[in-house]
Amino acid sequence: MVAMFNPIYFVVAGLAAAFLLTLFHNRERLSYFIMIIALSLMMLISLAHLASFLAGTGEIVQVFTAGFAPPFSINFQMGPPEALLTAIVSLVGLLSGIYLSEQLRKTGAYAQAVYIVLVMGMNAMILTRDLFNLFVFLEIVSIATVGILFLSRSRTSVNTGFTYMVASGLISVVLLIGIVFAYMNAGSLNIDTLSESLVMAGRGGSIAVLLITLAFLLELKPFPANGWGIDLYTSAPGALSALISAGGMSATYYALAKVLPVGQWSHDSLVAAVGGITFIASQIIALKQDDSRRLLGYSSIGQIGLLLVVLGFSEALGDRRDFIAAGLLITHALSKSILFYISDMVQDDSLRGWAALRRKPVLLVLFGVAAFALIGFPPFPSFFAKWDLILLLNGGTEGYYLLSAMVLAGSLIEAVYLFRWFSYALKLPHEDLPELASPTSRLIAPVTAALVLAGASWYVSTLVSGFSQSFLIPVAFILLVAVIDRLPAWSKNVISIAGVSLYIADLYPRIAGDLMTMIFAGIFLVGAVLTLLSGFYYKGRRAGFYPMALTMFAGLAALIEAATILEFFWGWELMAIGSYFLLIRGKKSMPHGLSYLLFSIGGSYSILYGFSLAAAGAGGVIAMSSLVGISVMPALAYSLMLLGFLTKTASIGVHIWLPGAHGEAVADIHFMASAILLKAGVFGLITVLLAMGSEAGYTRWILLALGWIGVLSALLGNISAAFQESAKRLLAWSSIGQLGYIVWGLASMSHLGWLIALGYSVTHFLYKGILFLAIGGIALKIGTPYMYKMGGLIKRMPYSFFAVLIAIITLSGVPPLVGFSAKWITYNLIISEQLYYQGFVILIAGIIAFLYLFRMIYTVFLGQLKDNLRSVGEISIWFRIPMYLLLIVILVLSFLPNTLLRPIGDMLSGIFPEEAIVWTGSRGVTSLGYFDGAMIMYVIVGIFVILTILFLLLRKQTQKVKQFNIFYSGEAPSRPELSHFSYNFFAHYRKAVGALALPLVTGFWDRVTEIIHAVSDFIRRIYTGNGQTYLFHIVLYVVVVFLVQSGGYR
Amino acid sequence: MNIGSIAMGAGFLLVLIGLWGILTRTHIIQIIVSFSVVDTGVHLIMVAAGYMHQRTAPIISEGLAASDAPSLVVDPLPQALVLTAIVIGLGVTALMLAFALRIHEKNDTLEIKNIERLRW
Amino acid sequence: MIRTFGIILTLIGVAFLFFSLFLEYETPLELSGSASYYAASTAEDTGSANLVSAIVVTYRGLDTLGEVTILFLTSSIMSYMLKTKKARNQRTFRESSELLRTASALLVPFIILLGVFIFVHGHLSPGGGFQGGAVLASALVLLLVADPLYTVQSRILSVIESSSGFLYVLLGLSGLLFGAGFLDSRVLPTGRVGELFSAGLIPLIYILIGLKVGTELSNLLSVFHSVQGQDLMEDEGGAR
Repeated sequence: MVAMFNPIYFVVAGLAAAFLLTLFHNRERLSYFIMIIALSLMMLISLAHLASFLAGTGEIVQVFTAGFAPPFSINFQMGPPEALLTAIVSLVGLLSGIYLSEQLRKTGAYAQAVYIVLVMGMNAMILTRDLFNLFVFLEIVSIATVGILFLSRSRTSVNTGFTYMVASGLISVVLLIGIVFAYMNAGSLNIDTLSESLVMAGRGGSIAVLLITLAFLLELKPFPANGWGIDLYTSAPGALSALISAGGMSATYYALAKVLPVGQWSHDSLVAAVGGITFIASQIIALKQDDSRRLLGYSSIGQIGLLLVVLGFSEALGDRRDFIAAGLLITHALSKSILFYISDMVQDDSLRGWAALRRKPVLLVLFGVAAFALIGFPPFPSFFAKWDLILLLNGGTEGYYLLSAMVLAGSLIEAVYLFRWFSYALKLPHEDLPELASPTSRLIAPVTAALVLAGASWYVSTLVSGFSQSFLIPVAFILLVAVIDRLPAWSKNVISIAGVSLYIADLYPRIAGDLMTMIFAGIFLVGAVLTLLSGFYYKGRRAGFYPMALTMFAGLAALIEAATILEFFWGWELMAIGSYFLLIRGKKSMPHGLSYLLFSIGGSYSILYGFSLAAAGAGGVIAMSSLVGISVMPALAYSLMLLGFLTKTASIGVHIWLPGAHGEAVADIHFMASAILLKAGVFGLITVLLAMGSEAGYTRWILLALGWIGVLSALLGNISAAFQESAKRLLAWSSIGQLGYIVWGLASMSHLGWLIALGYSVTHFLYKGILFLAIGGIALKIGTPYMYKMGGLIKRMPYSFFAVLIAIITLSGVPPLVGFSAKWITYNLIISEQLYYQGFVILIAGIIAFLYLFRMIYTVFLGQLKDNLRSVGEISIWFRIPMYLLLIVILVLSFLPNTLLRPIGDMLSGIFPEEAIVWTGSRGVTSLGYFDGAMIMYVIVGIFVILTILFLLLRKQTQKVKQFNIFYSGEAPSRPELSHFSYNFFAHYRKAVGALALPLVTGFWDRVTEIIHAVSDFIRRIYTGNGQTYLFHIVLYVVVVFLVQSGGYR
Repeated sequence: MNIGSIAMGAGFLLVLIGLWGILTRTHIIQIIVSFSVVDTGVHLIMVAAGYMHQRTAPIISEGLAASDAPSLVVDPLPQALVLTAIVIGLGVTALMLAFALRIHEKNDTLEIKNIERLRW
Repeated sequence: MIRTFGIILTLIGVAFLFFSLFLEYETPLELSGSASYYAASTAEDTGSANLVSAIVVTYRGLDTLGEVTILFLTSSIMSYMLKTKKARNQRTFRESSELLRTASALLVPFIILLGVFIFVHGHLSPGGGFQGGAVLASALVLLLVADPLYTVQSRILSVIESSSGFLYVLLGLSGLLFGAGFLDSRVLPTGRVGELFSAGLIPLIYILIGLKVGTELSNLLSVFHSVQGQDLMEDEGGAR
C-alpha cells in the first residue's frame, strides 16, 4: 500500500503543480485549487508513511533517483523520523496555504507556485540523503521564503528580505566550501557513505565537516548571529512565520541531525553549547520584548536551542532522544503555528493588543492551549518530553546537573513572558483595540493545528511508561464539560458534582484503610463537592469556570492516586493550570494570578529537579518508592522538593503570590484556593518527609530550616493579617500563618508534631472553609471586601455571624472547640521536644492571631450598621449550606476530639512510635497531662449558660442607644474611611511591629525581576537593525567557532 | 604549486575580497557586487577541487576511449556541482537586485545605513 | 573605526581558516570513489559521451531539477515583485546606431541557432542546457540593446517556460514508471556513445532545460528592462 506513496512524489507533485499552475496565471481560483491539491497530496504521502510506522508495519523506504544506487545517485529515505517531520511540514504547509488563501489568490499564480515549491523544498530537505542535494533544497527554501515574505509588501519586509538573502548567501558559502572539502577528502557526497568514510581522519576533512555543521547551525539562527532571522519573523505574514518556525526549522534541524554522524558526532558538544546559549539568551531577550511577532521569533529560536541541546546530548539520552526531540518538536511546531496565525489576526502588534482576542473566545482558548503546550504542561507531548529530558540528563553515568538546571531556568523565563502576555489577553481592557481580522476561513488553520496537537498528546501519553492511561479519564470528563460550556451554570454544576461524586465512589474502596490518603482525599474531594455546592449561587453561564475547577480537582486527585513520580508531577502541574485560571477570574487579579503561576512553575521545576535526582539514584525507576533513600545528592534533592512544595503552602519567602491571588479571587474560588489548594503543598511535604525520614545527618539542617520557615510564616503571616483592610486579604494572610503551624509541626518529625499538622490540616479546612464562604459571600453581597465599609452586619446576617463566630473560636484555639485540642498538643510538643525558641515565637504568633480575628468579627459584624447596608439580606443559601455542614463537623470534633485525633495518632504510631497520646473515651493523656474535649465542653457551656441567665436577669439596667444618637463635630472628612474606627484598626500595633510585615521579601523578588529585565535589555542591544551588522555577526560567529573548535584538530 | 593550487588560492582570495566588500560597503548595489565576487570565489574553489594535473576533459571521444577514462580525465563531479552552484548564484543575485529596486522605491535610498530597520 | 578594526580582525580569522584549508589541498593523483565510478561506467550506463552531462542530467538529475526550480522561483518572484504601474511613462531613448540594429537583426538567428546547437549536443560536447539557454537569452540582450522599446512577448516566454518545466517533470516521472527510478534517462535506448541520437533521455531533457533556462533568463532580463524608469506597484493593502 505504502509503495503507492513513493516519497519522490513530494518533488513530482510539488514541481508539476508549480509549473502547471503558472499556465493558468489569469485564473487564480483554478491555480489556487491546484496548489491545495498538491499540498494535500504531500500530506497524504507523509501521513500514509507515518500511519504505517505508527502501526508497526512500516519499513524504511529508500528511493534511488535515476535508478542508480547511492553514492552515485541521489537517494531519498523515508523512515520514521522523516515520516513524522514531513507530516508536520506538510500539515503546516497546507494550513498556512489555506490561511494565506486571500493573499495568494490576489498575488496570483506565480506566488502560489512559489508557495508550493517552498513546502516541497522543506520536505525534500528532510528526505534527501545527499549533501549537495541538501544544499540545493536549502537554497530553494530560502529563496521561496523571501518570495512569500514579499506578499506583505511592507517596507520592513523588503528591507528584511534583502538582509535575509545576503545572510543565507553567506551561509551557503560556508556550506559549499565545507561540502567541496568533504568531497575531496572522502570522494562522496552521500551522507551515509560519508559517515562510514575517513573524512574526519585529516585536518581538511575535519574542518570541512565543521563548516557543514556550522552552516546548518547558522541556518537555525543561533544566538547571537541571528538578527537577520528574527527580523524575518517580525516582518513576515503570520502564516509564513508559522511555516518557517514549524516547517523550516524542523527541516533544518533534521538536516543538522543527518550531518552530525558524518563528523562521527565529534561536534555534539558544539551543538549542545550553541543550543544552550541560544536557548537561555533568547528567553532572556524575549522578556523585554513588547512586539508580539518578535517575541514569538525569540521564543521559536529559544525552542530550537533546546532541541539543539537534545541533539547534542544524543549519547546521554540514548534511545529516548528521538522521543524527546519528537515531543518537543511536535509541540513547538503546532503551538507556534497557532500563535503565529493568531498574531496575523490581531491588528495591534503589541502584546497588550492581544486583549482583542476576548472578542473571539475560540482564539483565546487556542492562545491558552498553545502557551501551556509550549511551557510543557500536561497533557501535551512537551510535558513528557521535558520530564524525560531532565531525568535522563541527571540520570546518566555522568549527570549534567548544571545543564538540566539551566534548561529549567530557561523554561521558567519562557513561562514568565508567555503567561504575562496571556494574562494581558485575559484581563486588559480591549474596547479601544482595533477589530480582529478573523473571518471564519482563517480559523481553520489554528483550530486544526490545535486538534492535531490534542491527538498527538493522547498518542504520546500512550507511549510513556510509568504513566497510567486512567489519568486521562478525568481529562476526558473535563473536555466534555468544556464542550457544554454554553449551558447555564447550574446544569454544569450538577454534572460536575455528579462527576466528582462518582469519582469518590470509585476511589473510596481503593484507599479505604489508608488514613493518611483518606484525610487528604477527604479535604480535596469532599472539599470539591462543597465548593461546587456553593456554586449554585451563581446565576448565568459562568463561562470557563467548570472545566478549570475540574482540572484543579483532577490534579489534586492525581496526587493521591499517583503510583509513580511522573503521575504525581502530572497531577501537580494539572492542578497548577486549573488553579491559575480560577485565581485569575477576579477583577484585579492579573498581576496576582501571574505571580501565582510563576511561583507554581518555579516550585514545580524545583520538584522536578528533585524527582530527577531521586530517579537517578534509583537507576531510572520512577515508582513513588524511589523517593526513599535517594543516593544522588540527597540533601539537594530533598531540599528542592521541599522548597517546591513550600511554594504551594505559601511559606514565608515564597508566599508573595498568595495574599493578592487569594485576596482578589471570588467567593467560592477563594474557599477552593485557600482551604483546599494549599493542602496540596502539605500533602507534598508529607510525602517527601516520609521518604526522607530523619536519620541521615543532613536531615537535621533541612528540618531545622523547615521548622523556622514554618515558625516565621506563622508569625509574619499573622502580623500581616492584622494589618489588612480587606477581609479577604486578612484571611489570605491568616492562611499563611496557619500553614506555618502545619509546616512547623511536620518539621519536628515527631508524633505530636505530625498530629498537630494533620489535625490542623483538617480543622483549617473546616474553619477556613466557613470563613471564606462567609466573608466571600458578604463581600459578594455588599460589593466590597473592605472591612471599614462593613459593620453591624450581625443584624442582617445572623446565620453568617454565628458560623464565623464558631470558626474563629476554633481558629484561635481557645476552649471549648476543636482548635483548643490542637493548641494543647502544641504545648505538649514544645515541651517534650524542647523546641523553646521556636515555641516562643509560635506562642506569640498565636496571640497575634487573636488580633486579626477580633478585628474581623468586630468590624464586620458588630458596631453600627451602615446606612447603605440597612436593607442587605443574608448571604446566599448556597453558601450557608456548605458552611453549616462544616460547622456540624467542627462541633462533633469539639465534643469528641478523639474521633479525629485517635485514628491519626494510631496511624502515626506506625511512623513515630514514641510520645503517643493515650485515649480513653474523649480523654487524651500524654506524659505532661490530660485533656478531655467533652469535659471542657460541658464546663464552658455551663459557664456560658450561667452568664446568659445573669445577663437576662440584669437586663433592665441596660439602655438601648439609637444609631444616630451621637454628635458630629461638623467636619466633613475628605476620605470618609479615614475617620472610620475600623480603618487602620491596629495603628498602634503597626507602629510597634509593622516593620516585620514590611514587604522585605517582595522587595527581594522585585529586585530579581529588575535585574533579569536589565540583562535582557542589555543583551538585545546587539540587534541594532543594521543588516550589515548582522552579516558581520555571521562571519564573526564562523571565525570564533572555528578558532574554538580548531584546538581539537592539532 | 600547480594550476589547481593557484585556482584554489585565488578562489579563497576572491571570497575574502568579497567578504570585505560585503562588510564595509554601504551601498546596496556594491554589496550585491561583492556578494557576486564571493560567489565566484567559491565557484573557483569548486572547480579547483576537481582539477587533476595533466588530465583531460571528461568527454569520451575518438581520442579517449571509455575504458581509459578513469586514468585520463579530471574529476567530472565538481564540474557538475559548480554548474548547479553558478545557476543558483545567478538566481540569488537576480533576486537581490530585484530587492534593491524595491528598497529604493520604499526608502528612496540605497545606503544600507539609512534604510528603516527593525530593532531589538 | 572600531568597526573597521573588528572587520579586519575577523577577516584575518577567516583568512586563517582558509589558509588551514588551503594547506590541506593537494591535487589528487587518482580519481576518488564516486568519480572513478563515473569515469568508468558513465558511457556504458547512460550512453552519454559527456560525463558531466550524464552526471548533471541523470546521476544528479535531482540537483538539476532543483536548480531549474531556483531559476523558476526567481523569475516567478520577480514577476510579482517588480510589477509596474499600469500608466507607463513614455520613455525616451537615444536611437541605437544603425550598425547595431542591422547587425543584431542579422546575428540573432545565428545566436539562437548556436544556443540550440549547444543544448542539443549537450551529451556529446562541452555545454548543455544551461549554457545553451544562456546563449539564447543573450540574443534577447542584443535585441534590447538595439531597440530599447522592443516589447518582449513575456506571455509566450512564460508558457514555454512552464510547459517545458512540466514536461521535464513528466519525463522524470516516465523514468519512475518505465525505468528504474525518477529521472532515469534509460527509458529511451542509450544507443551508441558519441552519436546524436543516443544517451536516452539526456538530449531531450537538455532541450527542455535549454528552453526553460533560455526563457527564464529572458524573462528576468525583460522584467528588469521593463522597470527602468517606471514606478513600481505600490502596496496593495498589505497591512504589515
